[in-house]
Amino acid sequence: MFRILKKSLKTGVVTGQHPKADAPREPASPEAVQKTKPFTRSLAIREVDTGSCNACEMEMNALANPVYDVERFGVHIAASPRHADALVVTGPVTVNMTRALKDVYEQTPDPKIVIALGDCAINCGMFKGSYAVTGPVERHVPVDVRIPGCPPRPAEILKALAELREGKKP
Amino acid sequence: MADAQTAISQLNEAFGNAIVGVSDLHGTPVLRLGVKDLPVVAHYIHTHPGLRGALSLLWAVDHRPREARYELCYLFTLSECRDWLLLCTDLQGDDRLFHSITPHIHAAKWYEREIRDMFGLIPQGHPDLRRLVRHEHWPKGTHPLKKDFRWDTVLEQAQGEYAFRRIEGEGVFEVPVGPIHAGIIESGHFRFSVAGEPIMQLEVHHFWKHRGVEKLFEQLRLTDAVPLAERVSGDTTIGHSLAYCQAVETLLGIHVPPRAHYLRSLFLELERLHNHLGDVGAICNDTAYVLAHAHCGRMKERILQLNDQLAGSRFLRGVICVGGVSLNLTDHQVAQVTAELNAIETDFSELERILFANASLTDRLETTGVLNERAAWDHAAIGVVGRASGMDRDIRRDRPFAAYEELQPKIALYRYGDVRARMRVRMDEIHESARLIRDIRARMPQGPALAEPSGAPKPGEWALSAVEGWRGEILYMVMAGEQGQIHRCKVRDPSFVNWPAIQWAVLGNIIPDFPLINKSFNLSYAGNDL
Repeated sequence: MFRILKKSLKTGVVTGQHPKADAPREPASPEAVQKTKPFTRSLAIREVDTGSCNACEMEMNALANPVYDVERFGVHIAASPRHADALVVTGPVTVNMTRALKDVYEQTPDPKIVIALGDCAINCGMFKGSYAVTGPVERHVPVDVRIPGCPPRPAEILKALAELREGKKP
Repeated sequence: MADAQTAISQLNEAFGNAIVGVSDLHGTPVLRLGVKDLPVVAHYIHTHPGLRGALSLLWAVDHRPREARYELCYLFTLSECRDWLLLCTDLQGDDRLFHSITPHIHAAKWYEREIRDMFGLIPQGHPDLRRLVRHEHWPKGTHPLKKDFRWDTVLEQAQGEYAFRRIEGEGVFEVPVGPIHAGIIESGHFRFSVAGEPIMQLEVHHFWKHRGVEKLFEQLRLTDAVPLAERVSGDTTIGHSLAYCQAVETLLGIHVPPRAHYLRSLFLELERLHNHLGDVGAICNDTAYVLAHAHCGRMKERILQLNDQLAGSRFLRGVICVGGVSLNLTDHQVAQVTAELNAIETDFSELERILFANASLTDRLETTGVLNERAAWDHAAIGVVGRASGMDRDIRRDRPFAAYEELQPKIALYRYGDVRARMRVRMDEIHESARLIRDIRARMPQGPALAEPSGAPKPGEWALSAVEGWRGEILYMVMAGEQGQIHRCKVRDPSFVNWPAIQWAVLGNIIPDFPLINKSFNLSYAGNDL
């Protein structure tokens, strides 16, 4: 017990101890900001991997660690698309995941936003043209927000989300 | 102790007539055999007490358009001496049948199914000929790695349903999970059959994320494909790019400068550290011990930020290149790395004491998800999973690459094969990696860190390379094509071997423990699906 307390005291608060991110390369469109209005105080995200190399997943996971602590901005990860306000899609859409992506989109209740995370989700990246890839996310479901990077840093994701939701600056 | 040469003479004695030829490939003996004789010889190598060869890799090559033949290659690691032994056989012309070795060597199961899907070659006598990589909606006759299949073909849609193995009876339920999971995880499908609480059967149905990586390699030149190798499995950026570069360097006859060797080891250990730290935290998190997860997440983040500071990429992308490393750290930077790692190691040791004192955590981890030694051997389990189940294999010691010949890493080995053993292996390796990096700093030679490519490989020339990534051994087989193109690149992430083993490790456990067991394996879906 004392050991745990001592460790916590010694560590202190680490939240926010990360380098600042540059301004997003693709600013959020007014339509996307308008669409996000209902979620400015709380946003439930469902992450869908449609064929990423898993670096984007690592960075999404990092958002939940004490350094970025995304929950302090009212963002949390929902366990089911039926509980989600936003879909975060990573990776080029593979032949095998195409149907699953469409199903997930349909099962997410309206109003909803779709965020394409990482270069692969936006333009298929290195996997463009492959027989096993059916094209970027926007070919299958409408995309509202794009966060480029390979992979985007957690600070960049935070910044993009903050800009999208206005007034919530990390 | 029998080395590969004695093994060859032993095999010559036993199967003299069957062996068509013996040659040598960059130090690995290659035996050429007839299609019919291969299963017998493979069985002998696998079971003979003096050899005990574990199947490490099985791949096929389509030699068209140069020659009208398919080649099948079976790579064995002899347990006694840890040497490699390669068996090769040819399928001439339109011959598409070969004899399955799966009935005797369980580890070949997924490889042979993969070859059938990708090349359309049929393993006769294979107990399970369902599709593996190609899902049921792929049209019949689609075999992407055949040379007459265009890489940018647009696939049509067909109908079909994967036939899961069924257990039927009163009170038996099926629980489908995935491909999209709760939490932030990659895509894969698990089908459990349960009667009451315990799992009676688990079937892993993967390859949702198949991106056609091996075919994409064939569209690239030898020297241009490193970025693709980095993206095979994002968390193993260094492991994959290093394994690829080593194979290409063998082909191009490049001598990597000593400083580059040390820097490569340094980056590889950094990658091992941040992944292992994340895994220890994630295992604790799955027992609802959030405190440890928070601390580990914080330490992992420190290393990722350090990476970003050094290389401008949190996953060290673009650092490894053909001929060495593109980032020649200054001695000051290396000192900075060791100082940071010393702090993290102290930090982690304090956390370790908290973890070991927690009886409820230990209770949850012990005897959960046991992969016993026998099952690990049958699956040829490798890496962290193998070393937690008594498989004493580590490429860093067995086939030293980069600077490991001089560094001599200590290998963590446990025999219980449960979740706790896998966590202990990771904990030990965290300390060992920190020690290795200190050692690297002390021994680091001066000089350049990049060599220029010199030779050009003949078409059809090929090389094997192995790297002990943080998950386990990563194997690459790269074959040169015309004018510096890649003819074939076989990628083997350790996940491909260890996924079938998880089906065995969960038996008798309850479904709520599956996430914990899965996390303790922590396999890559992307690296498996390719």
